[in-house]
Amino acid sequence: MLAGIKKIGPFEWEVPQGFVPNMRVPGRFFLSDALMETLEEGAVQQLANVATMPGIVKNSLAMPDIHWGYGFPIGGVAAFDRDQGVISPGGVGFDINCGVRLLSTPLRVEEIVNRRELIERLFSAVPTGVGAKSTLRLSAQELEAMLLKGSAWAVDHGYGTAKDIIRCEEQGQMKSADPSAVSSKARQRGMPQSGTLGSGNHFLEVQEVREIYNNGAAQRMGLSIGQVCIMIHCGSRGLGHQVCTDHLKVLEGATKRYKISLPDRQLACAPLDSPEGRAYFGAMAAAANYAWANRQVIMHMARGVLSSLYGIGEDEMPLIYDVAHNVAKFEEHRVDGNLRQLCVHRKGATRAFGPNSPDIPPEFADIGQPVIIPGSMGTSSYLLNGTQQAMERTFGSTCHGAGRVMSRSKAKKELSGHEVKEALEHEGIIVRAPSVGAIVDEAPEVYKPSAEVVKVVHEVGISRLIARLEPMGVIKG
Amino acid sequence: MSYVELEHTADVKLRVEAGTLEELFSEAVRALMVTMYGTADPGTREIQVEVHAGDLVGLIHDLLSEALFLSEVNDVVFASAELTIEGGSVHGILRGEPFDPARHRGGSEVKGISYSGLKLWKGDDTYILDIILDV
Repeated sequence: MLAGIKKIGPFEWEVPQGFVPNMRVPGRFFLSDALMETLEEGAVQQLANVATMPGIVKNSLAMPDIHWGYGFPIGGVAAFDRDQGVISPGGVGFDINCGVRLLSTPLRVEEIVNRRELIERLFSAVPTGVGAKSTLRLSAQELEAMLLKGSAWAVDHGYGTAKDIIRCEEQGQMKSADPSAVSSKARQRGMPQSGTLGSGNHFLEVQEVREIYNNGAAQRMGLSIGQVCIMIHCGSRGLGHQVCTDHLKVLEGATKRYKISLPDRQLACAPLDSPEGRAYFGAMAAAANYAWANRQVIMHMARGVLSSLYGIGEDEMPLIYDVAHNVAKFEEHRVDGNLRQLCVHRKGATRAFGPNSPDIPPEFADIGQPVIIPGSMGTSSYLLNGTQQAMERTFGSTCHGAGRVMSRSKAKKELSGHEVKEALEHEGIIVRAPSVGAIVDEAPEVYKPSAEVVKVVHEVGISRLIARLEPMGVIKG
Repeated sequence: MSYVELEHTADVKLRVEAGTLEELFSEAVRALMVTMYGTADPGTREIQVEVHAGDLVGLIHDLLSEALFLSEVNDVVFASAELTIEGGSVHGILRGEPFDPARHRGGSEVKGISYSGLKLWKGDDTYILDIILDV
């Protein structure tokens, strides 16, 4: 165990002020004893570094998928006071609104007689991997509209239905988007990449509902054992990456101008109400909208494949929900009894609003916001719901995934792509990727067990289990 | 000039080493490209590059961010760079070959160049750079 950190609950740890100089609040993270051995010192240091930032409220937090990132740790959550706080691209990441959505189908697992054909058809339909180009031919005006309107842009252009929009966090559109703060470089990267999956840990997976923990909630979401679903994980592509790079440079200057002292240059930030802070927020929101449009377009492509293979209609494949993993947003939270306006940064963390919170589809209001936690390739994914506990303890946040435990270089040395693929196929999971390297990078062995991560958030009560889904086949970038 | 990949759980951490700063920057561009595309071989496509920053760490950060941008929008995989570093700027030519999906799909898309863990120092005989790429 790391010196200086304290266990304060069965799954809760404190990083006291003084762990690094100038911490304004203590750090807190959630982890089981079983996951303690995966904790990296670098991640705890980053959690403590975030606690030094101006205007941070209550705690610098990390979810049980905490790991060593850049700026904030992955799994990091921090809320900043609207008047005295800051905004930082290091608390959002390069892949703005990297997120995940879950789509249900009327198909049963036994109806997918030829899994390989389904996966091959999906792989042909969705541009995937490094250098893949969009099949959309966006004009500059259309890109501008996409940056403003997000999912609604996609629906207006025939990609999906109006019902899909209601089933997205923020209804797939951050209204504070300011495309004028998105550079021409970001646009050049975004234009040919809209509707592409990307690479790395991004994927489109065909899944089967294998276990249900909360019958009432599962029923309301239209899920039953043996049902086939589709999960899509991707973000804002080169456009979002460039927005982060561009504004990091501006905010580096702002950090000096506003005399903010930081332990890591990647935490460059500016006051929320400064011109630099507002510009980053507007550009980040525009990139988030691009990501929502992107996932909407990819979902439409997947629906097209299912329609043509199985003769089912779009209205038989409702979106269950779509969540963002990397984003900063203005939200109202109760802190020590007082309602406060905060800018909540989630970097590799998921919003998990409890029952009757704002921005939840009316049909799920009494359940809480759906939370989707993707597993790594070949392992379980989970559907959960947000809780009042999350509202009280984590600014309405929970984990976002499994979290890596093995580096890519070690994975390449120790594992073979062909063997990983064969082992998965032995379990009936078909994997399709542009290269075997992509398969090794994301092999099940390189991640923490998703079941253990989800167990922690369920036990702590910051989200509660509804269903477990198992992979049948996956396309990877 | 050479580079090696160091242990990093989530991202790609590289250590680059070269006799001069110009060679160090050029090798870092090649290392970035190999990470992204699996291979980076010499070619005849040339693209001008120029970045400005307040210090050496800022210069290498911005040069690599610019190389990432130029590679992506021009569909070129850079294998080398001829660079001049003076004052607060680095400028010159990035050189490589056109992106070929059949040969350049063996890497991991790099999302950005991180300042976290970015270090540049002079060893006994060489300059050394540690850098983390977000993939």
